[in-house]
Amino acid sequence: MDNGTSNSASENETITLKSCDGIEFHIDARIANRYTLLNNWNGGESACIPNVNGKVLEKVLEWCEHHINDPQLNCGDDDSRRRNTIIEEWDENFLSCDQDMLFEIILAANYLEIKPLLDLGCKTVANMMKSKSPEEIRSAFNIDNDYTPEEEEQFRKENEWAEDY
Amino acid sequence: MITLPNECYYMIFNNLRPDHKNLFLCALVNRHWCRLVIPILWSDPEEHFTDIRLIRIFLLTLNAEEQALLIPFNITLPNHPKPLFDYTNYITSINNYLYYGIRNWLYDIKYKPFITECELENAVKCSLITMFLRTSNRYFSKDPL
Repeated sequence: MDNGTSNSASENETITLKSCDGIEFHIDARIANRYTLLNNWNGGESACIPNVNGKVLEKVLEWCEHHINDPQLNCGDDDSRRRNTIIEEWDENFLSCDQDMLFEIILAANYLEIKPLLDLGCKTVANMMKSKSPEEIRSAFNIDNDYTPEEEEQFRKENEWAEDY
Repeated sequence: MITLPNECYYMIFNNLRPDHKNLFLCALVNRHWCRLVIPILWSDPEEHFTDIRLIRIFLLTLNAEEQALLIPFNITLPNHPKPLFDYTNYITSINNYLYYGIRNWLYDIKYKPFITECELENAVKCSLITMFLRTSNRYFSKDPL
């Protein structure tokens, strides 16, 4: 991924993106340059995003537009950025959507290689897991417990050191 | 629920570091999460190295050669069933807390030394470090012990 020290597109330049369900978006070309989100963009006036539907693409582009003037981080900053779980207010509001949409945004950010949005989505999900019991997490994320009671007991015994602080 | 690829779950769980308790609770959610969380949870137990429950798991992982280093001291090693995971594969660093953990464990088994206690502690330390170097899959660093 090009971490984009250059932003060659000018402010007025736009390109057209087409979602997998055929919805078109006219976006500032600097967004495409910045995130190289269009691996298959050949520099022309339009590009197709095959794996992201219009509803999700709209959200992703809204985020990209809001953050278009953010300073760009180097690859080396990845770990510290990930470990810092503080989320800015605008981003928090932006991701206060239903869980399916949040997961769709993470999937799209992963697919489109928009790392800051991917990190943000992952932090949001991690924050949803904090201070919850396994049962509460299962219920929040609609997950079945597939441990056998014996397995769960052995796992607890082998890892109970982590439970104490 | 929409399923995320493992790489995304890995990023999510990495955000929980270094909260071992939170990681432990996530690992209890289901088997899939457990497999993803274990490498993160065990990568650096930090101050938990003082915990004798952790030392017992390490001792269960010793091979015959590493156990042989301890034969002269006539100590009883733990003999639990085989652990569910090769936990020590995921350890990436050890620190001085390990030394206290070994001491705590020796105290717990009420070892009556017939030679100097220091010599025994060093033997257990050698044996465990040999095991860590053998089993760790990853880059391994150690603070001076």
